[in-house]
Amino acid sequence: MAAVLFISVFLIAACGLIYELIAGTLASYLLGDSVLQFSTIIGAYLFAMGIGSWLTRFIHRGLVSRFITIELMVGLVGGFSSSILFLAFTYVQGFRILLYGLVILIGILVGLEIPLLMRILKERFAFGELVSNVLTFDYLGALGASLLFPLLLVPRLGLVRSALLFGIVNAGVALWSTFLFKPHLPNPAWQRGACAVVLALLCGGMAGAGRITDTADAALYSDEVILSLSTPYQRIVVTRWKDDFRLFLNQHLQFSSKDEYRYHEALVHPGLASLPGARRVLVLGGGDGLAVREILKYPAVESVTLVDLDPEMTRQFASHPLLAGLNQGSLRSSKVKIINADAFPWLEASAELFDFAVVDFPDPNNYSLGKLYSTAFYRLLLRHLSDHGLAAVQSTSPMFARQSYWCINETLKQAGFQTRPYHVYVPSFGEWGFVLGSRHGWEMPARLPPGLKFLEARYLHSMFEFPPDMGPVAVEPNRLNDQTLVRYYDREWREIIR
Amino acid sequence: MARDHPLTRRDLTFGIVGLASKSPDAIQGALANESVDMGHRIRDHARFQTPAETRRVPLVIVGGGIAGLSAAWRLDKRGFRDFVLLEMESEVGGNARWGRNEITPYPWAAHYVPVLGKGPALVRELFEELGILKNGQWDEHYLCHSPQERIFIHGRWQEGLPPQTDHQQWERFEALTGELRQTGCFTIPMEQGWRKCGARERALDRMSMEEWLAANGLHSPEVRWYANYACRDDYGASSAATSAWAGLHYFASREPDDKGPIVQPQGNGWIVQRLEEKLRPHIHRGRMVYRIVKRGAGWQVFTEQTRFDAQAVIFAAPTFLGAWLIDPAPPKYPLEYSPWLTANLTLERWPEEQDTEPAWDNVIYDSKSLGYVVATHQSLKVHQRRTVWTWYHSFSEGSARDQRRLLLGGDWSYWKEFILRDLERAHPDIRACVSRVDIMRLGHAMPRPGPGAMFAAVPSSHAPSLFFANSDVSRLPLFEEAQYRGVAAAAAALRLLGRA
Repeated sequence: MAAVLFISVFLIAACGLIYELIAGTLASYLLGDSVLQFSTIIGAYLFAMGIGSWLTRFIHRGLVSRFITIELMVGLVGGFSSSILFLAFTYVQGFRILLYGLVILIGILVGLEIPLLMRILKERFAFGELVSNVLTFDYLGALGASLLFPLLLVPRLGLVRSALLFGIVNAGVALWSTFLFKPHLPNPAWQRGACAVVLALLCGGMAGAGRITDTADAALYSDEVILSLSTPYQRIVVTRWKDDFRLFLNQHLQFSSKDEYRYHEALVHPGLASLPGARRVLVLGGGDGLAVREILKYPAVESVTLVDLDPEMTRQFASHPLLAGLNQGSLRSSKVKIINADAFPWLEASAELFDFAVVDFPDPNNYSLGKLYSTAFYRLLLRHLSDHGLAAVQSTSPMFARQSYWCINETLKQAGFQTRPYHVYVPSFGEWGFVLGSRHGWEMPARLPPGLKFLEARYLHSMFEFPPDMGPVAVEPNRLNDQTLVRYYDREWREIIR
Repeated sequence: MARDHPLTRRDLTFGIVGLASKSPDAIQGALANESVDMGHRIRDHARFQTPAETRRVPLVIVGGGIAGLSAAWRLDKRGFRDFVLLEMESEVGGNARWGRNEITPYPWAAHYVPVLGKGPALVRELFEELGILKNGQWDEHYLCHSPQERIFIHGRWQEGLPPQTDHQQWERFEALTGELRQTGCFTIPMEQGWRKCGARERALDRMSMEEWLAANGLHSPEVRWYANYACRDDYGASSAATSAWAGLHYFASREPDDKGPIVQPQGNGWIVQRLEEKLRPHIHRGRMVYRIVKRGAGWQVFTEQTRFDAQAVIFAAPTFLGAWLIDPAPPKYPLEYSPWLTANLTLERWPEEQDTEPAWDNVIYDSKSLGYVVATHQSLKVHQRRTVWTWYHSFSEGSARDQRRLLLGGDWSYWKEFILRDLERAHPDIRACVSRVDIMRLGHAMPRPGPGAMFAAVPSSHAPSLFFANSDVSRLPLFEEAQYRGVAAAAAALRLLGRA
């Protein structure tokens, strides 16, 4: 009997320490500065335990059933603590308030445990022996937990499952107590029912945790994930909510099937419709085949060369039934040649000329990508355009990243392009910008191909007008040796996110 | 399609999920370009084979580093083709030597040439000829791409060098070096300004860089760290062992807003490669000169294969070797030479980084070593899975002789551990990334311009038909100095031979 009781103490102590370690680890992972996070979490937790111990003085009756209730609460709150924090970090503002709130709540509950247990046990043991035994097992539990946590739990189970596992241990101690202290309980069946519910919740969480820890997607994408792939280049995720498909590359939204037509019609048609003689088209980036879908609306186009780094991306969008449906099978057209290569070196090695080029790279949020927006790159691009050729360049948002947008325009100019900047509203992104570049200028097309959902020839001109809050600003061009664009972009999005 | 946002909370969350541990496989590697034994054969007066053949040639260039190659470049350009260039190693290049593996070419030592506002005329001439300077515009592909430099300090990477939190002290430092720039005494090449130096500037050579900082109230740890780093990086000597004149030359000879340096994967090796292509017929590799003897008005230059009978010799090897090779011997070269250790690390993947990107030049604050440059930095690829890092270490404390013993005392596995431990401070998972560490030990990498060195006499010409051309004649181990001395020696030789 005595041994069984002290094993409970051992387990409770271990659980208490685990929740504290999980909170500290999560906070350092997510917020950085581990010294600060661990210090403040340990401080808050110990302080809260003190509050808990102090609160026990107000508990006079029904010690055992209170103890069981507290165990269940610790199990529930502690068990789900890391799931809650992971999800909250992605979706909720005021993450720190939630973090410290949870730490203090768990701390108070854990602080209640040992004093209550000692009072329950005080009739069975001499005081000296009791204090000695309880504290011994308390500290032993702490030692066990602190060794288990880094060596076994974090590497094998991860944070979400570790918390849930120890939640189950807490609830297990509660259930066990209903048998141990049966004589002290007025209604043990009711208590056992509560234990069963909590255990079921935690086990359910354990089963569902797979989604959080294995892919992390389920936690971060609220919609159904229909494709999730890690390639050497990126992580590709496609989600579906009713008939809205969304593509995420490295967690950044690339399109929503609800409104992508606005983006792709704007990207392709103002340029290509003005070139009735265009035969050969180049697409850089755009492995989703959506720009190619628009290009194939011109029967005169004889070949489309698509250069995308990631073979998995083009393979999925050519063969996955749902995804190929989005681009209407454009990547399987006999006119389309798919090349999986890094665009800059590929273009350097190529001798081909194109009448129209679509440049649709990810936004310049790092220096590697910034090279694809440099004067050197655009000079190379210009050399691959036929005399009357045009290039349409996706150019970030003139609204949210105004300097970045005008920097791309300026860089194209420095590289020898005549430019025509324009923009369009895409609900899932906001105002989005493009730049048309040419050698000899561009004339607005009088007609567009039939069957477009968004563009009409008579409204084209409005896309080329910029209201004052998106108008040109003075910027430095983006050069390989001085990537101003990446700095503009970083600063501007930082401001938005803040 | 393309919208994306800078680092978000989601990225961080994914960063954690992606943390995977991989057990490091055994790291391969070797000591590379070892020529210690060859050099020591001369020191120890070993017996050399008497050459079987004799060849008459008006001019011999001894040494195929930048100085020797530049001399040859100038001779060839002046239409003079009657000369040979003798290189001891299997490859030319000297301190601009380079190597290559299946990933990329990489440097073994010198890895950049600064671009100065207008730049020294000779450097401009060469770069125009090599096609990277056209109508005053530098070819963007050759200028160091962004991000150029970063420093690991207080546990994180910070873009740019040096750390600048003590603003007042930095302003003072810049004001003082700006004043020195105005004197016109600090130039590249150094000879021109050096001749014009007044008493005040000459006095700078009598104190160490560290003493100069203290005398000018520059006590900020950051400024002192940076000055020390610059001395260790440029001269292989600590700021306490560097002449203040030399230490300040680095700052006072350049405009603060110079466009970033000329950089290629193989460091300055690309210049070697291009010069070698032009000059191939003259270059004899693997030919160690073991004796140069004066005979009448001319010289006999001995290699184990051939004795060259020449009217004139351009001695472009390190000048201190002259005392061992030349008869009659020139005065002893007065400066010590710093030992260096460089290494090329082959990485199968990049170390994990959370929110930062590798720069070209990556420096670890308070490290005893100098950091590393990334050979694939100039690549135009967005995705570069494997790479090569060139890591540098100069032995800048204590006597060069003792440090040389330390350098040669360590074998490959000793230095490999040393290197990985240094990098581990900034990249905890470096061992899991590296598959090879190739190490080069350079016993006499460059002269140390200690206090008094800049105005001490060096053997410039003790015989009218032998010309010293190494950059150590300038006492500053710079590409520009090597080129300038090589070209000057070529011009002098042409005058002597009546071909000017």
